[in-house]
Amino acid sequence: MTTIPLPSSGPVRDTIEARPEGDNYLTHTRGLFSWIFTLDHKRIGVMYMWSVLGAFLLGGIFALLVRTELLTPGPTITEDANTYNQWFTLHGAIMVFLVIIPSIPAALGNIILPVMLGAKDVAFPRLNLFSYYLWVTGAILCIASLAMGGFDTGWTFYTPYSTTTTAGGVIPVLTAAFVLGFSSIFTGLNFVVTVHKLRPPGMTWFRMPLFLWALYATAIIQVLATPVLGITLLLLIVERTVNIGIFNPAMGGDPVLYQHFFWFYSHPAVYIMILPAMGIISEIIAVNSHRSIFGYRFIAFSSIAIAMFSFIVWGHHMFTSGQSALLNTLFSAISFSVAIPSAVKVFNWIATLYKGSVSLTTPMWYALAFLFLFTIGGLTGLHLATLSTDVHLHDTYFVVAHFHYVMMGSALIAMIGGLHHWWPKIFGRMYDERLGTIACWIIFIGFNVTFFTQFILGAKGMPRRYYDYQPEFQVYHVISTIGSYTMAFGFVLTAVSLFGSFFTGRKAPANPWGGRSLEWQCASPPPFDNFAKAPRVGDCYDFSVVHWDEKTGGYWVDESADPEVNPGAGGAKAAH
Amino acid sequence: MSQTIASTHTQHGAEAHGHGHDGHAHGDHGHAHDPNLAHHFDSLQQQFDSAKLGIWLFLATEVLFFGGLFVAYAILRMSHPEIFSYASHYLDTVMGGINTCVLILSSVTMAMAVRFAQTNRRGGLIACLILTFMGAIGFLIIKYFEYSHKIHDNLVWGPSFYVPPHDAEGDAEAKMLKTAPAAPGAAIVVNNPATFAIPDLAAKPAVDASAVKPASVGPTGVARASGAPAPAPAAEPAPGHSEEAHPGTHLEDKAMPPNTHLFFAIYYAMTGLHGIHVVAGMGVLAWLTWRAIRGDFSSKNFTAVDTGGLYWHIVDLIWIFLFPLFYLIH
Amino acid sequence: MSMTSQIISHAASKASALAALAQSGAASEPTAPTFWMPTGASTIAGGVDHTLDVINWICYVFFALILVLMVYFVVKYRHRKGERFRTDFPHHNTPLEVTWSIIPTIIVIGIFVVGFRSYLDIYTAPKNAFDIKVTAQKWAWNFQYPNGATSDDLYVPAGRPVRLILRSSDVLHSLYIPDFRVKRDIVPGRYTYAWFQCDYPSGQPGKSPRDPNAKKVEGPEDPAQVYNLHCTEYCGTGHSKMNRYVYVLDEASFSQWMIDQSQWLDKIPEEELFFKAGPKIFARCQQCHSLDGTKGIGPSWQGIVERVKAYPNVGEGKKYGTWEDYVRTSILVPGDYVVPTYGNVMPSFKGQLNDKAIDAVIGYMEHLSDFDPKTGKYLKADAAK
Repeated sequence: MTTIPLPSSGPVRDTIEARPEGDNYLTHTRGLFSWIFTLDHKRIGVMYMWSVLGAFLLGGIFALLVRTELLTPGPTITEDANTYNQWFTLHGAIMVFLVIIPSIPAALGNIILPVMLGAKDVAFPRLNLFSYYLWVTGAILCIASLAMGGFDTGWTFYTPYSTTTTAGGVIPVLTAAFVLGFSSIFTGLNFVVTVHKLRPPGMTWFRMPLFLWALYATAIIQVLATPVLGITLLLLIVERTVNIGIFNPAMGGDPVLYQHFFWFYSHPAVYIMILPAMGIISEIIAVNSHRSIFGYRFIAFSSIAIAMFSFIVWGHHMFTSGQSALLNTLFSAISFSVAIPSAVKVFNWIATLYKGSVSLTTPMWYALAFLFLFTIGGLTGLHLATLSTDVHLHDTYFVVAHFHYVMMGSALIAMIGGLHHWWPKIFGRMYDERLGTIACWIIFIGFNVTFFTQFILGAKGMPRRYYDYQPEFQVYHVISTIGSYTMAFGFVLTAVSLFGSFFTGRKAPANPWGGRSLEWQCASPPPFDNFAKAPRVGDCYDFSVVHWDEKTGGYWVDESADPEVNPGAGGAKAAH
Repeated sequence: MSQTIASTHTQHGAEAHGHGHDGHAHGDHGHAHDPNLAHHFDSLQQQFDSAKLGIWLFLATEVLFFGGLFVAYAILRMSHPEIFSYASHYLDTVMGGINTCVLILSSVTMAMAVRFAQTNRRGGLIACLILTFMGAIGFLIIKYFEYSHKIHDNLVWGPSFYVPPHDAEGDAEAKMLKTAPAAPGAAIVVNNPATFAIPDLAAKPAVDASAVKPASVGPTGVARASGAPAPAPAAEPAPGHSEEAHPGTHLEDKAMPPNTHLFFAIYYAMTGLHGIHVVAGMGVLAWLTWRAIRGDFSSKNFTAVDTGGLYWHIVDLIWIFLFPLFYLIH
Repeated sequence: MSMTSQIISHAASKASALAALAQSGAASEPTAPTFWMPTGASTIAGGVDHTLDVINWICYVFFALILVLMVYFVVKYRHRKGERFRTDFPHHNTPLEVTWSIIPTIIVIGIFVVGFRSYLDIYTAPKNAFDIKVTAQKWAWNFQYPNGATSDDLYVPAGRPVRLILRSSDVLHSLYIPDFRVKRDIVPGRYTYAWFQCDYPSGQPGKSPRDPNAKKVEGPEDPAQVYNLHCTEYCGTGHSKMNRYVYVLDEASFSQWMIDQSQWLDKIPEEELFFKAGPKIFARCQQCHSLDGTKGIGPSWQGIVERVKAYPNVGEGKKYGTWEDYVRTSILVPGDYVVPTYGNVMPSFKGQLNDKAIDAVIGYMEHLSDFDPKTGKYLKADAAK
């Protein structure tokens, strides 16, 4: 009920002034050990960020190798089909387990969630650090598996091929995935407890920004689904080492049982990838349209609904596996139900643009790219959920294109958009807007050239995981490869833009975009303890009280005008 | 609803404690804070509640982790009911029952330990923790005897199931799988080891049979009373194995359905994974005991005992499901 | 909204027409390839393509709607520097949100129904189907016909439903004939089924199924009409090399082919077996075994006879009596003898190569010097004629 009186002149917040100049979480303590043993969620998130980006580079290199090989039917850069098989397997395994699943929750989520929530840290900081070191262990085991003979099973490790192949790196990579699973579980556990228990007074569930809802729903999936992956991988390792026979038909086992176990996790896993991305898009679109998100409650509820539904549709990966028509029918019908909340989210985001005040910053370009690419990715999911068309399209390049549209074109694009959106906050520097926007466009164009062609390839009957192919498909592959190089160039430009900010970027103001959520109420970069005094929780999507400040080159929030913070104020908010 | 400034935010110490991390202090104030309260929590109650929610979520992951195996059990049982009704007779219900009682008792002592911690009774706490630890040891000892008997009789998973016991050398032919003879000096290697890794259990030295009762001797057999003469050995005794030869094994039993090894595969997988969790629980108990001796716990701070206790309870609970599924139903 | 209801009624009418088409089993011309789909040559292809069209058009409409609105809003509501932020926007609109939840729900139900009906036709083989057994293994196919004929390519009669009984010798495979819209995983340890009916037999000169306007497709038997058959479940190094052809023959030609195929080995005199049949059979073995000493997945056949005869185990305690025994066992039960440094990965050819075929292979090995080490072709072909 009491309000901190603001200084009558100037908009600068006293909390920001309370810190000595240049003292933030990056500089508060120095030295290698202060990073290795840090318990600060922001530092842990930064370490995750560099690690995940490094893994992305590695996985991307394998992707370029694959695409280069596919320039011609027959051998192009390798004579050996086995080498090619290892390339696509590694590309998939690294991207799925080391990059996309941890990327938004562990990297961006760790840095932003507590600050956005108004908390001082996550609930279990030591567990957080332990999660990071589990990730590092998994990455090391993955590299070790390369040295021990590699593996060529495909990232899905289908039996009986994965239990009988003589490649020496299978068990290490299975162990790596097992360890990475626990990294994911503990991150999810941490986030669930943080959102439940560490909300400051005033931060009710429906005051939370949508990114937090998204991270929360993701965390639920991480906690509930990943253990099933753990036991599946454990059973695979045991099957390979001592041959228990549970997946071996010669010993009474069932290879399709493995597929059920695997997809029971891996389908919810793709929602682990996309839900946080949707959360980021909600934030970017709201902030850059300077208006409240349309249909906040629906978007919040739909995140939970998607999380719940994701557990009951795994069979749509197995329509041709020989399971009964009844099972196929059930899974197909339920899969359509998952499409609806996602579609309505897209409508909500488009409606958020309506009568907004749209600023086309680099994050906003990424958000618009997301809308375009996620629409295509989601719509092509309809083709795959439909039984008869899936018979034709399953295990072809159509599926490859579909999941790249949703995993890369949506989740990864959203992550990079989020990186740009919060980069000033995290590192205190502004990147070059123009270069960032150009890079976004190049990635967007390259992406579509690469993967839209693959829809056509797949529909025309080109199977997946092929080293060699019919000559009539070559023209499509050449186009796709050209697109992939374009995309790679776009990513290089993005890296130049972001890393260049460390050298030539101007110092970032506390609130460069005019956001209302709590992370914008502290300095850029944040102080080591996030907030000196408890931030006041207002309506995080009320931008009517946000004003541009030419002096700092950023925005400031006039909370005295926000009736949620200062009940005496009339407020400039439009009535509901 | 307007926001109040949470006065609790100002209760924490200014300096970071020397933990080697960069601290979570919040400005100057003069209040001392409870050394048990971590910097990022506002109150002990919040810290305790967070820990409780955290452990319950972890237990949920354990349930799902084992849940995969339970589903595998259910599927195997549905598709091969004859295997389960046959092979479950090989399990010693008495030993399993004793184990169940031991674990339940250890859960009782664990709950008592929590109560003692809550009521500041350090002596009782330490005693109960130690009793729980002993229960865990007892469980593992009984498990050791069960396992060693089975392993001795080659009632194990995979291809070793089909290797007759005491047949370490020579032409042990697998029934179900082609296990080619490992003739010494052969230029031709048979069966790529990477694909069919056959554990060398047949060559394991036999357990001293006089010390413990054999668990079972056949499909209808229950533990034979010690001293009763074992039936005449059906397999020719290999040289070098002088103790009482085991009688006709499962391999001789015409009633044995094919793929019976699957039962033992899932049995060892589930009870083995459970055993690993018991060992981990022993580590937790040891750590709690050490901290209790140090005097860390009080009515203000018993969180670790409480959460450790919850973990122990779920280990017990999983066994309570395993026991009837394997030992009781036929 | 009227546009949407038009789409729905359009879809519904197409669905019922499609169902009628699928159930009638009417003989159909292969459809020409479109932007998305290859030629459609089976009776269910029309149904599948139609379902795809329905989905595609719904997607085009929604995508266009979303894209246009997005671009329009971004342009119209662009914020210029210095302007105040608009505050006249709606926060939510329950009737709108309900509507745009219900309409997509109805649409996806419609899509599901359309897909489900065409799927039932794919799943259920008609009762009078002609059965062909298919064995998939790493990395080849073998098709076995009721009269005992075996073939590496799939020959089917036109105008009759054909049911494939699929089994695998080793790992997961998947049989996929894109032009028939047929796909089924092949799971080791059990049988799975797939069926199709193609009404358009070969022998129509100048017409290629892949593109009616293109020139003839050159196949190994050079017929006018071939369809591709792929493995589409990753199965290892040779996964992308498991491509074969499907030949559709009219009834008379098919019956004749079956007879000829079952007897082709019998008709060859013993002494000519090795060069008339050997190279054909060797084409399968070539995937793993070379003739010129190159180490492949399996040992090279160069000098194989001498090597086998000189093995230490021949003699006391030997496991095989003659080198021919060794070859025969290696073909039928390959796991029994594995050469050091090679893995136990050779599939069994039991049921695929009969005794005469094995004789042909043995003869081939005996006369290896008569064959080109790189291609396996008979060097004395002219003299043999």
